[in-house]
Amino acid sequence: MARLLLLIWSLGPMLWQLYTSFRPSAVLTGGARGGWTLEHYQQLLNGEPPFLTYLLNSGIVGLSSTVVTLLLAIPCAYALSRMQAHRARTISVAVAAAAAFPAVLLFLALLEVARDFHLANNLLALSLPYAGLCLPLAILLLQAAFRDIPVELEEAALMEGMSLWQRLRWVLLPLMAPAISSAALLIFIFCWNEYPIALTWLSQADLLTLAPAIARIAGSSIFTVPYGAFAAATVLGSAPLLLIMLLFQRQIISGLTQGAIKG
Amino acid sequence: MTSSSPARTGLVLSQLCRRVGQQTLLKDLSLEVAPGEILALLGPSGCGKSTTLRCVAGLDRASSGSIELAGEEITARPPAERNVAMVFQSYALYPHLSVRKNLSLGLELRRVPQAEIEDDVERVLALLQLEACRERKPAELSGGQRQRVALARALLRKPALFLLDEPMSNLDAQLREDLRGELRGILRSTGAPVVYVTHDQHEAMGLADRIAVLKTGELQQLGSAAELYKDPQNQFVASFLGSPSINLLPLHPGELVGLRPEHLEVVEASNPLTPELAALDAQREHLEWLGDRVISHWRVRGSSVKVLSDAQSQSAALAQSHNGPLQLRWKREHELHFEQASGRRIR
Repeated sequence: MARLLLLIWSLGPMLWQLYTSFRPSAVLTGGARGGWTLEHYQQLLNGEPPFLTYLLNSGIVGLSSTVVTLLLAIPCAYALSRMQAHRARTISVAVAAAAAFPAVLLFLALLEVARDFHLANNLLALSLPYAGLCLPLAILLLQAAFRDIPVELEEAALMEGMSLWQRLRWVLLPLMAPAISSAALLIFIFCWNEYPIALTWLSQADLLTLAPAIARIAGSSIFTVPYGAFAAATVLGSAPLLLIMLLFQRQIISGLTQGAIKG
Repeated sequence: MTSSSPARTGLVLSQLCRRVGQQTLLKDLSLEVAPGEILALLGPSGCGKSTTLRCVAGLDRASSGSIELAGEEITARPPAERNVAMVFQSYALYPHLSVRKNLSLGLELRRVPQAEIEDDVERVLALLQLEACRERKPAELSGGQRQRVALARALLRKPALFLLDEPMSNLDAQLREDLRGELRGILRSTGAPVVYVTHDQHEAMGLADRIAVLKTGELQQLGSAAELYKDPQNQFVASFLGSPSINLLPLHPGELVGLRPEHLEVVEASNPLTPELAALDAQREHLEWLGDRVISHWRVRGSSVKVLSDAQSQSAALAQSHNGPLQLRWKREHELHFEQASGRRIR
């Protein structure tokens, strides 16, 4: 019974959204009865630019941000995990403090940065602030995972004559795969959903990522609320994430709980 | 120990020290291990045996002193450049790789030709009877198999020195005994010096040519098992080797007399005493049966004393059922005398 309630609680809004996206606008705003329609989807997919552009843009930003974040976070986390404990703790606290800094306060400064360095309306450039915001979490998550790998494994590799790069490539990173993939997913989802920075950095319609694009759809008219189009946009926007979560759920869970269980 | 000769091979430690902060983990350790020799570092935990091994491996840095291997000074070299192989207590096998890949990875990364790698891996797999496990992951192996894979990985390196850190401590007692002879044979056949760290005296005595007993970072005594047992230099060495451990009795002021349990005999107090014998009255406490042997526990002048005797012997029979007054007797030549304050042997 409790499980059923939980299921309704978490699935309900999503199903409602799905249901809404297939109903004609007239039905949604009251008055008319019955009927199903694909008009909202057709409207989105044939829009100018087509909705797929937004999905693609978000995909590009998400992937590049994930790559940049991991490239920076993995060496950081490794160094922290191999450092003297008290020094590593000091740095970890600083990293956590940085993560706690209210990101809203950064927007004005970021806007200045975007203007001065001509980074506005550049999808790849968006991965810089995104990586900056994701780094603390990624570093802390990966650091815990590095700590879980017995030091003796790396020492054995060292005795076998492996260089630092070889130890990372052949011994440590393969063992970190669950943690790295769950960190990657968290970063990707953050970028996929991010709104304020994308809103301020991107103005060109064909470069918009999902969140500002959906906001534009919702606010496209002041006389009517486009419930149907909005619902269809959120369905299309969350479908790729759902797919990824379903495919990688085992890795995500084992990666997130890695710190709790000693191998 | 021989003084410095020009063509020294093997491993030579001189005045090796390791300090961390205020703590001295290892103090002025000097010893040599000849090629083909197995030296055991024996002692309780915290005695410095693992520290020694890690300094020689290059995983920990020596604070002072020198390490020489095959005539070359390696004290400051990184581990990869020492040509030393190590078997870890936890085996440290790469969990994501098959046995074959565990063995070949290091060679592949050092760009050994593929054909040579395959030959070597197959040869070592056959030597250690691991052929059937070739494609298994470490998690799918038994403890004994894992230990052998770790050994195989070390053998493949053809190193100038083998270091083994408690390689048997994760195995059950029966397996440990079975593997001891095998391990000794394999290590001996490499012709390289071997340093073997253990806290188990039986393992040290059964495997090693010589034993270095360590305590709180200091070498207590170095010698063959027989030398350490018969002629310990101090009370610590005397107590650490032998089971049941040596009886220490305060028979003279400021002095402890050490008596090995197997050197004591139980006799009726009325038996006449000959000049080469010493005797003390004893009260029986209890008996432990070990099958062919018996450990009897006695109270002698307020101390408890153990006697080890054959199950068939007169001593065992008396310890079991005699009702009259009994004595423990021993030959005076078997007595070991130690200074009570310092534990030093008095000769």
